[in-house]
Parts: sequence; structure tokens; C-alpha cells
Amino acid sequence: MCARVYIYRCTGCTYNSTILTEKRMEPLMITLSFLSLLFFLCILYEIASQTRDRCCYLLHYECHKPSNDRKISTKFCGEIIMRNKNLGLQEHQFLLRAIVNSGIGEDTYGPRNIIEGRENSSILRDGILEMDEFFIQTLDQLFQKTSVSPQDIDVLVVNVALLAPIPSLTSRIINRYKMRHDIKTFNLTGMGCSASLISINLVENFFKSKKNAFAVVVTSESIAPNWYSGKDKSMILTNCLFRSGGCSILLTNNRAFKDRAKMRLNCLVRTHLGASDEAHTCCMQKEDDQGTLGFFLGKNLPKVATRAFAKNIAKLAPKVMPLTELIRYAALKFLKRAAILNLKAGIDHFCLHPGGTAVIEEIRKGLGLTENDVEPSRMTLHRFGNTSASSLWYVLGYMEAKKRLRKRDKVWMISFGSGFKCNSCVWEVVRDLADGNVWEETIAGYPLKTTANPYMQQYGWIYQEKSESYTGEEPKNRSV
Amino acid sequence: MPQVLPSFSSSVKLKYVKLGYQYLVNHILTFLLIPIMLGISIEILRSGPRETLTILNSLQFDFIQVLCSCFLIIFVATVYFMSKPRSIYLVDYTCYKPPVNCRVPFSTFMEHSRLILKENPKSVDFQMRILERSGLGEETCLPPAIHHIPPTPTMEAARGEAEMVIFSAIDDLMRNTCIKPKDIDILIVNCSLFSPTPSLSAMVVNKYKLRSNIKSFNLSGMGCSAGLISIDLAKDLLQVHPNSYALVISTEIITPNYYKGSEKAMLLPNCLFRMGSAAILLSNKRRDSRRAKYKLVHVVRTHKGSDDKAYKCVFEQEDLQGKVGINLSKDLMVIAGEALKSNITTIGPLVLPASEQLLFLFTLIGRKIFNPKWKPYIPDFKQAFEHFCIHAGGRAVIDELQKNLQLSAEHVEASRMTLHRFGNTSSSSLWYEISYIEAKGRMKKGDRVWQIAFGSGFKCNSAVWKCNRTIKTPAEGPWNDCMDRYPVHIPEIVKM
Repeated sequence: MCARVYIYRCTGCTYNSTILTEKRMEPLMITLSFLSLLFFLCILYEIASQTRDRCCYLLHYECHKPSNDRKISTKFCGEIIMRNKNLGLQEHQFLLRAIVNSGIGEDTYGPRNIIEGRENSSILRDGILEMDEFFIQTLDQLFQKTSVSPQDIDVLVVNVALLAPIPSLTSRIINRYKMRHDIKTFNLTGMGCSASLISINLVENFFKSKKNAFAVVVTSESIAPNWYSGKDKSMILTNCLFRSGGCSILLTNNRAFKDRAKMRLNCLVRTHLGASDEAHTCCMQKEDDQGTLGFFLGKNLPKVATRAFAKNIAKLAPKVMPLTELIRYAALKFLKRAAILNLKAGIDHFCLHPGGTAVIEEIRKGLGLTENDVEPSRMTLHRFGNTSASSLWYVLGYMEAKKRLRKRDKVWMISFGSGFKCNSCVWEVVRDLADGNVWEETIAGYPLKTTANPYMQQYGWIYQEKSESYTGEEPKNRSV
Repeated sequence: MPQVLPSFSSSVKLKYVKLGYQYLVNHILTFLLIPIMLGISIEILRSGPRETLTILNSLQFDFIQVLCSCFLIIFVATVYFMSKPRSIYLVDYTCYKPPVNCRVPFSTFMEHSRLILKENPKSVDFQMRILERSGLGEETCLPPAIHHIPPTPTMEAARGEAEMVIFSAIDDLMRNTCIKPKDIDILIVNCSLFSPTPSLSAMVVNKYKLRSNIKSFNLSGMGCSAGLISIDLAKDLLQVHPNSYALVISTEIITPNYYKGSEKAMLLPNCLFRMGSAAILLSNKRRDSRRAKYKLVHVVRTHKGSDDKAYKCVFEQEDLQGKVGINLSKDLMVIAGEALKSNITTIGPLVLPASEQLLFLFTLIGRKIFNPKWKPYIPDFKQAFEHFCIHAGGRAVIDELQKNLQLSAEHVEASRMTLHRFGNTSSSSLWYEISYIEAKGRMKKGDRVWQIAFGSGFKCNSAVWKCNRTIKTPAEGPWNDCMDRYPVHIPEIVKM
């Protein structure tokens, strides 16, 4: 019995100690799991707080509408072309054809020196004046309409490809608006028509490392000092297509402004084909054979643009297309059947760079879009011409003035630029938008039923001219 | 001729009062902990070793409590490391060494000057006087197009110069760091006076066949401080993109900017600006922490553009004959001093040791409360930095900064010698200066370097680097063939 008691006691002890150990294990396991859960929750919180407040919201944008005395009608364009004595009959015919087919209307704007007839003898002040008029109008309006003070701005990015004075345009703006001394400024030049999205990319990156910041992006192109006075056909085209314009955009990552914001940046993809020599040289600023500086546009430009575009879509589509569409496309590709990605499954509005009628038509056909989809770009081209980097914002303005932008719609902006680059981004509309902006007075007249150019009628006589007898002047006895 | 600079600390800022208060409050725990620890150690020493041992033995380590404490430590450490900003390392950098046939000794420069500016003999005299007092040497270089009589500043020639300076620097950099072009994720090029389309960054992408998803930026018009602006941009981008390399190219293309007029203030850049470039590789990869030369500590940017005088002091404009040039105003030194003061107000609290800051604070309080006639205390930056790289903008700039920051001749030697050997190479001069210090074998691990640059606008930017490993005198570099001749004594006036 003692042995039994002993054994019992021992086993009891072991049992007790087992119970005790088990009893100790339970709270231990509970504590362990509780602590692990807490740990992971805190890691998640840390990650969440790092990614929160990093969204890029577009608060407001102001497009530039120059004064009416800067309007350039096609008749006026014709006069400028005809007075260039460097050009002969062939060049005139080529230019007239280009202007007629460009899709540009009668109300586009040019810089003052060209209107005053000084296109070949521009001075530095002309370029700066063109920029000043743009800054004063758009930035004043921007700060007034959003009630954000210039002293609140943390980042200022200016992109104007063809003008880089000293001090830079960013300094000019800081001087005028007396901005803070610790503001971060970036002056981008030479980056072509796609520079506007590069500036947005810069701001987007900045917002990821600094909370509650405001950024202003000022995008434009300098037309005044860049008139080409030579006769190389591939360089005169830019004289006819580019017009004055610009846009100032206010962005923030402050969540308190979420409700006042217009759009939120979803994603941005940049594609650079500079590695290919053909792509790099297809649009370039250089001297012609006579030594005159101009902007060369190569014949292979459309091909290069298509390649860049395809590469860009390949990167962007997986980020914005719904999964069902991606699976459908992948399945068809796998079965080696013809497949076109239905972009409308993920995108509601298409903001195409209005580079010219041909460009818009090519993209429309390539992507399978309807006339309604490309209407904003076509109408912008007609009303404001090709304003280079800022043209996307005029297209966006059209969509807003037409009340097309509804909450949760997705807007896709695409632009091309020298280098050769194709940049695109997708915005998500935060609330229903209906601001008339720069289109307010004219939107009622759009869309136009036809963008045919009346110029052809007026200058049609040129096609009957023979080069031997061509004097560069309209014959007095022509029949209309 | 040099203007009297405003008294350095005459504008007193409440920032320093706030700083002192914050410092005391932030470190209050340290201030309290030290007496507590002292008390405990005295107690332990008093009670003797045996009593201490019995106390230790009687401690009961409850497993759960131990587990909780361990978790707390791990968890706080993880949160701390996750929220810390990424370290940015400067893996390596190279400076362009121009070929001998681009050299412009004084005699060549004056001869060309007489032929090109023959309608303006006064301009020729003026240029000679500037050159005599400039602090430049006989080995500075100008691009081939400027050697022509008259200069041929075509876009093609400017592109040629850009290709020559930029590609050589990048080739050397890639060879030294053994990286492939496909590894580069971010590319930033800054060149103030030349901005072709497609940009210089596109030119680099084309030559080296960089990836199509590269993030490239081309900064222009931002003056001699643009190099530090590019570093700041690279730093912001590297915080967002993990495991990346950023290639920063700082250069100035002289070809399009030879001024042929007669306006004196606009002739100065002809005499001072010379060709040069630097290519810098930055990384945020942890494995580069071993081989990197420097670690970026701070970048502080100050923009005085809101003041009209500051904005106009370096201004590109047309003279009365319509010739374009850069006008340097007579107030340049004063404005530079103001901008520097502003920059130092921000950077001082970040880098000065507590002792300097407290001294400044006490003199400030003293001046406010007791006696306004007390002399203001100028913080001693020599305690915060071992090496100073002042942008070699011109002799006057280096002189003034030496006086203001109370630096010795050795501290500004790198700047003076760079000005002598390479001239004012604008944004890349800071890198030639650091290269001088390395070539002299003075760069040791842990040394802190302060780079200061001024630029049009008016901007003052500074960057603080910490040396990551002791750097042996490099075998190759822009200084390797002339280092034994330096430092040279630069006379006040070089008689020609």
C-alpha cells in the first residue's frame, strides 16, 4: 500500500505536474498567439500608414485661354506661309494640304510676335512674354478657385520643352507669387509632348514620401522663339500644327481634401523607346542643310508611335483591366485566336493627345473606339490646335464641360513625346464633374458636324498653278 | 569691389529658441535616467557582491513575462526599422577630364578674344582684367566649337560637346562600378544652358540602350546648384522605389553660350565657365553599403526667388544690341550671403553638435534678455564637418564663404584648386572638389563632407555626405596627372 501510495503519489505528482505543465501551457499558448496576432496587426498598421496619405488627388486644373487678339485663323496662317519667300510652289502646296487635313479650326491661338509679323526675328522677351501671360492667367485663377495659398505649395514642377531661360521658369513663378524658401522646384525641359505626365509622375513619387503636401504642375510649350524659317518639308510642318496654350494643375495627397478633389490618380506607366536609334531620331530638334534650326518630324513617326503605344498598353492593361477581360484575352491568345483587348471594359473615357487628325484616326482604329470616344480629342484639336504637352488637359476640360465625367469613371490619358516616349495614366473620377472651365463659352456649339477646312476653297487655285509661272501670289483674275 | 556682407546672425530667429526647448524636452528622459542609473550603481557598489548575488537568485523569471518582454523588444525594433527612411548610398562617381587639345591657356583665350571681339577693344581689356584676377589656371578647357574663330555654336556642335563630356564620364563610371546599363532604374540629367529636344536624358537612354521602363528626368535652367537638386530628386525617388540604382549626370554645355557683345556684366561667364561633367551612381540596395563611398545624410534646399533682388541677380537677357548673355549683378555676393544664411538656419540644427546649438541659444537669449550689445555667436561648422566643398563659382565666392564660415585655407583648398585646374564647371564642380580631397588621401571613414552650391533664382542648396570607407588615392581620376603639383599658390593678380 505504501508502494501503491508511493506510486500513486509519484504518478499523482507527475500527473499533477503534467496538469500543472498543461495548465501552464494553456495560458502560455494563449499569450503566444495573442502576441503574434498583435505583432502582425501592428506590422499591417505600419504598412497601411505608410501607404495611406500617398494618393495623388487632382484638386483643380486651369487651362489657358489667350485673349481674342491672339487668334489665328487659317487665312492668317496662309498669309504667313505665303510671305515666306524661302518657300516655293511645292512647299506651299505641301503646307496647304497639311493645314487643310490637320483638323485645326479658326479660333486657335498664336504668340504675339508671330501675329505682329516678327516670326523670323523673335527675341528672348517674346518667349518670356508668352509664358508670363499664361502663368498670370492660369495660376491666379487656380489659387483663387481652390483657396489654396501660394505659400502652401511644397513642390512646383514646370515643363516647357523648348524654352529654358536663366533663371528658370520655376524661379519666375516663385518670384511672382512669393512662394516659400523651402519649396522644391523642378524645371523639366526637352521632354516633348509627353512631359505633362512625366511631371505628374514626379509629383506622384514625391507624395509617397511626404505627407499632406500640395504640388503645382505648370505645363506648356513655347511657340514664340521656335518658328522655322527654312524650307525643309519635314521641319515646316511644326509651324502649322503647334499653337499656344498651357495648363496649371493643383495636386495634393492630403486626405482632408478628398471630397473637394476632382480625380484620383490610379496608375501611371512610362515607356521609353530611346534605346532604338530609329525611335530616338524620329522627332528631333536640329539644323537643316542651310543651318537653320527647326524641329524635324520623320516619316517613320507613326510606326514608332504605334510600337511605343503597344508596349505601354501591355504594361498598363494588367493594372486597370478587370480580371475577367484579362482572362478572356489570355485564353484567346493561348488558343492562338485573334484577340483584341476590349479596353472599354476597364476605361470609360479616352483622353488622346490631339497631335493631328491622322494620329487620332489611327488610334481610334487601332483600339476599336467609336467616334463618340474620340470626339473630345477631335474637338480640342479643332478649337485649340495642338498645344503640345498641355493638350491633354484641354481634352479633359471638354469632357468635363460636356458633363461626361461621373463618379467612379475611369479616364485614360495617353501622350507621346520625343525621345521616343509614350506615357499614359489612369485617373478615377471622385465626384460628378460639371465645370465649364475654358470651354464654357463655346461648348454649346460642340460637337461640330464637320471639321472640314474652308481654306481649301479659298486657296484651291494653288493646285492649278504651274511651277514655272508661280510668283507666290494669288492671281487677280481667279474664279471662285 | 567686394561688398560688405550683412552681419551674419543679425536676424535672430525664434526657431532657435524653440529648438532649445525641444532639445531639452526630447532628451528629458536621458537627463532623468542618468541620475537614476548613477543612484542604482552606487547602491549596488555599496551593498557589495554577495547581497547582489542573493537578490539575483531570488528573482523569479516567469516564462510568460519573459516572453512578453522579448516580443515587445522585437516588435518595437521592427516598427522602428520599417518606418526608417531608406539609406541612400553613393556607390561611386566619375568626373570628366577634358583632352589636352581643348585647353585654353591665358594666351590662347586673350588671342581669341582679340580676334572675336575686335569691334569692342574695351571688352577685350575687361576680359583680360577679369582673367588676371579670376583664380583660373592655364589648364582649363573649352569645347572645340568655342576654339573656332568665330565660335560656331550650332546645335550639332553643342550635341557633340554633350556626347563627349557625358559619355566619357558614364563609360568610366560603368567600368569602375561594374554595373550594366540594364540595371539602371532612374536617370536624371541636369544641364542649365542647353536643352535640346529630345532631351539629354533621351540621348543617354539611346546611347546606352537603357530599359524602356526607366524613370528619366531632364532638369534645365536651374543654375550651378542643379547638381544638388538632381541628388535631392534621386533621393526622393529612391525612397519610393526599393532596390534601385539611380544615375545622375551633372554637366554644363558651354558651346551655345559664348557672349559676343560689349555689356561688361555679361562678359564674366565667358571668362569663368569651362567644360566639365560628373556622373554619379546612387543606390538604396543594402549590399552596396559595403562598397559605397559615401552615404547621403541630408539635402537642404533654399530658394530666395520671392525676393526681387535675389531673383534678378543672375539673369539671362538681351543687351542693347540684341545679343543674348547672362547678366551677373553687382549684388551677387550679398545675395549669396543671405541665401547661405537661410540655408544654414535650416541645416544648422540638423548637423551641429548640441554644444554649438546650446551656445548659440544662450547667446541668443542673452542678447534678447540681458544685453543686446553682446556679440552674436556664429556656430563653428568645423565641428560638424571635416571637409567643405564650396562651389567654385569664382574667387570672390570662395573668399566670402571662407570668411563667413571662419574656415582655414586648408578647408577651402579643394575649391580653390578646382577653380584653378578646371575653372567654373558649374554643377559638376562639387564633384571635382571631392575628387581632389580623395586624391590627396584625406578622406577617412566617418568623415562628414558638406557640399554647398549657389544657383540662379536665387538658390542655395547643400548636401551632407558621410564617408563610408577610407578611400585610397584613386589610380585614375581627373587629378591623377597633376596631383603632385597641387596645392599651388594662386596670386591675387596674374600679370599677362
